[in-house]
Amino acid sequence: MSTGGLLAAELRKTVTLPAAWAGIAVAVLGSIAITVLNALTTRSAIDAGTPERVANTSAFETAFAAMPLGTVGAVVLGVVVISSEYAANSTDAGGGRQITATLAAIPRRVSLLAAKATVLVLLVTAVAALTLPATAGIANAVIGGAATETVTPAQALVRGLGGTLYWTLTGLIAAAVTLLTRSGLIAPIVLIANSSVVSVSLLLTNLTPLAHWLPDLAGRRLFTGVDTVEGGLAAGPGALVMTAWTVLLLTVAAVVFRRRDA
Amino acid sequence: MAARAVAAELDKLRTLPVVAFTLIGTVVTAVVIAAALAASGAAAGAPSSVVELVLAAVPFVQVGIILLGVLPAGHEYDGRQIATTLVALPDRARSLAGKTTAAAAVVGVGAALSIGAAFATAAIATHVTDLTLTADRAPWRLTGAIAYLAVIGLLAHAVAVAVRHLVPALVAMLSLMVIISPVAAGLTEHARWLPDRAASQLYADTDAVLTAATGPLVALAWLAAIGTVGALRFIRLDP
Repeated sequence: MSTGGLLAAELRKTVTLPAAWAGIAVAVLGSIAITVLNALTTRSAIDAGTPERVANTSAFETAFAAMPLGTVGAVVLGVVVISSEYAANSTDAGGGRQITATLAAIPRRVSLLAAKATVLVLLVTAVAALTLPATAGIANAVIGGAATETVTPAQALVRGLGGTLYWTLTGLIAAAVTLLTRSGLIAPIVLIANSSVVSVSLLLTNLTPLAHWLPDLAGRRLFTGVDTVEGGLAAGPGALVMTAWTVLLLTVAAVVFRRRDA
Repeated sequence: MAARAVAAELDKLRTLPVVAFTLIGTVVTAVVIAAALAASGAAAGAPSSVVELVLAAVPFVQVGIILLGVLPAGHEYDGRQIATTLVALPDRARSLAGKTTAAAAVVGVGAALSIGAAFATAAIATHVTDLTLTADRAPWRLTGAIAYLAVIGLLAHAVAVAVRHLVPALVAMLSLMVIISPVAAGLTEHARWLPDRAASQLYADTDAVLTAATGPLVALAWLAAIGTVGALRFIRLDP
């Protein structure tokens, strides 16, 4: 199978999964819903003359506060790309798993994993390209000229790209963990819970500064401006550390995937 | 017959390795988090108390409880075990009642064990570390925390029955509890009506409107609404 055919096959498999669309909907529609709520709150606070009631009146910050939902969407996408291959079919239909058909069609396992990762990156980037302008536009429309924008367009672009990178890397980590465990349970629990306020990594930073080197915390400066704790790595080194984690986990997953029985 | 339906469902859960792993994982999480909270409190010099530490661990423990609540109904649809279940017990209402009772039992046990483990850990940790102790909050709040976790677990069960898929139900519950609820709470005061915020009044007396009595009622209304949707779907529609 050619590289193009492989990518097309993986893309088609993924976009025909209802769960993948659920993930995309969480990221796009969920972010839009949160942004509308947030923007209306901010606007009413400004109109009432009490802007100090909200954390920030900038339209871009208002939109950017919805970023955690995009992380959930990326995790869902990363998980289903892999877990759909291992989910057992109905016993009425033989109880087989799709992975056996996939590997019969494309026995080069590392190429298969690379194709899956590429499709995941494409989808997450597409979701970000849709979500970030949409939420920023909505926040601008609602808040409009009522408040001064404190974020320049250049900063907004850099932070948008940083957020996209964080989503992509989180999605890839979710895919690697799902491939290692062949179960869709572990990755959502660890990654969704950790990307929230109920973060074990965040708690660990109180005990040891080494926790700042965990993938989710290393990358969190990519969201500069979103409330985070002090300390830890700056955006650039943090992004490198998170990328290194992603590459490491994907490599381990690839080696295990290549050597074990499907 | 009702007792046998419950026994059958409990037997299924007993023989499901992931349930045992989740129970152990939740208790271990409770122990580790309670110890970590005590150690970080001691390191920061922030005064705290044993009950306070246990209550601070509840948001972390609830993640395990959510998985525990999703599993009894969700695993039936991970594959087609539901077909076998309904062949064995075609009375759908009775089957669902048995499953819900079993889910309530496993969630209740998980909640009690993890809060107990967190309490024991916090009690030991406050002696070992040089944490400044404050006067203990009312110990009945520990019971409230167990009740809160049980409500959250049952809500997860109701969502799993309504959604009929394991991972989507898990992701939906997790997103609601740990992402949407905190984000919404930062945006609008109406977030207090969300099920977890309302139920948290069982242990966390933080709300201006809801109390330890009315908060759980709001959560129970959510539970009844989602449970009704799930039950109707389970009883009326094709499995």
